[in-house]
Amino acid sequence: MNSDTLSKPALSSAVATVLLVDDEPVSRLSMAARLKRMGLRVLEAGNGKEGLAILRRERPDLTILDWVMPEMDGPTVCEQVRQDPDILSSQLILMTSHDQPEQIAEGLARGADDFLSKAASKQEVLARVQSGLRAASLVRSIESTRDELRAKQGELEGELKSAADYIQSLLPVAGEITRDIRMSWSYRPSQALGGDLFNVSHWDDQSVYFYILDASGHGVAPALRAASLSTFLRADNLRHYMNSSDPARMMTEANRQYPLTEDGSYFTLWIGSFDRRTRQLRYTTAGHGGALLQRQNGTVEWLTHTQLPLGFEADTTYEITTVLIADGDRVLLMSDGIYEAPAPTGELWGTTRLETTFMAHRSAPLGEALPALMAEAERWHGAPVFPDDAALLGLEFRL
Amino acid sequence: MQIKERPIPNAVILDLNGDLTYAHRDVFKAAVETLRQKGCRHVILNMADVRFVDSSGLGLLALVSQNFKLNQGKVSMLRPQSYVREILGLANIPKLIPVFDNEQDAVNGKAQAA
Repeated sequence: MNSDTLSKPALSSAVATVLLVDDEPVSRLSMAARLKRMGLRVLEAGNGKEGLAILRRERPDLTILDWVMPEMDGPTVCEQVRQDPDILSSQLILMTSHDQPEQIAEGLARGADDFLSKAASKQEVLARVQSGLRAASLVRSIESTRDELRAKQGELEGELKSAADYIQSLLPVAGEITRDIRMSWSYRPSQALGGDLFNVSHWDDQSVYFYILDASGHGVAPALRAASLSTFLRADNLRHYMNSSDPARMMTEANRQYPLTEDGSYFTLWIGSFDRRTRQLRYTTAGHGGALLQRQNGTVEWLTHTQLPLGFEADTTYEITTVLIADGDRVLLMSDGIYEAPAPTGELWGTTRLETTFMAHRSAPLGEALPALMAEAERWHGAPVFPDDAALLGLEFRL
Repeated sequence: MQIKERPIPNAVILDLNGDLTYAHRDVFKAAVETLRQKGCRHVILNMADVRFVDSSGLGLLALVSQNFKLNQGKVSMLRPQSYVREILGLANIPKLIPVFDNEQDAVNGKAQAA
């Protein structure tokens, strides 16, 4: 090996900095001179405490520590560095004249990356310093990539949060819809953005329509699609297509506007329209099974029938079913995410347990009954976030 | 999900094993699409070993059925388990994809069992 390759280690373009911590001036001066000949910038400290302070301030690429020193010895400096999140990835080489295997093991166990004997040859010192600097450079590059990723993730989370706020803004305000209908809801998206949406709208003075939609899949794309369908279902938009609040007409139009996507994404949708004069609730569904009517005496009728989801077939005809609503009746719309909440064993919560729980809270106001349903599903599931979005919309009729 | 392709006269049976869900959409789509591109006109999905179909799985079934129809082909299903049969029924999938209890009926397209 010629002396040129020894004295010019292959370092990155910037001059690397080595911190040398040794209380013996002669040995420190000699090592510092060697390092400088390698083209390195050298910082020096005479004891562990001072060394640690410089390390924190200057963040050298590599630190070489004598074992025995006043104030704070080398292994203790290593331990302190490894406990400090700001500097824990520093590259540390412990140096001693007692290079027994037990001592080497102790030094490594207390946080050193490598070990150097004071009697090491020039070649060995060079090799170990180069190896330490290579590791330092790799660690720096990983840390800088990590910081970039964190920053990007932060930006994305900010974007998602603002999209989630927008989706949230599409949801109705709970309370009195008309003097004879009270509404409440509870919603737990499985991710930042949910693909379930629901709403209650006035068609005119006498009729109110309400719906729940569930976009297949999870994440950003279904949430955007859900927001689009929800906007489509606004009364001011629907009036361009029809002149009555007929749920079958709404469904037919939605089926035309929202075909199956190329990756097989689609919606299930339930729409009901209540006429205050006739007290009739007319509803239709496109593959959405989550709707029930609970009478004042507690009996439950599921408001659903077998029908293809939206977009499965272009010319689907949607049937209307009519039920008469009585004073005290409650209508509950839900997404399958609630009754398909799995227990840790895999067993689903199921519609029977949902009915039983809803029944148990018959005398509680809707605003309490719906969160109680959600809490019971959560207890069954054993965690607050379900695998699918879980939405509940309740209406209570006071006629 | 594991998928085994089993050609029989006038159709190809895909023996599906596992859950037909969002997580397995790519393997399912790829298996069916390969058959369609090879010119297969009748694919029979053997559902006997499918334990669960989620909403994405239903969408894939509808998509596959639509794509085969475009090529004058058809898709049938064999022996779904009772829970899966219930999920398929609620979404009215048998209207798009007929369900059969044995291979011969599926090939002949008669004696619909759904």
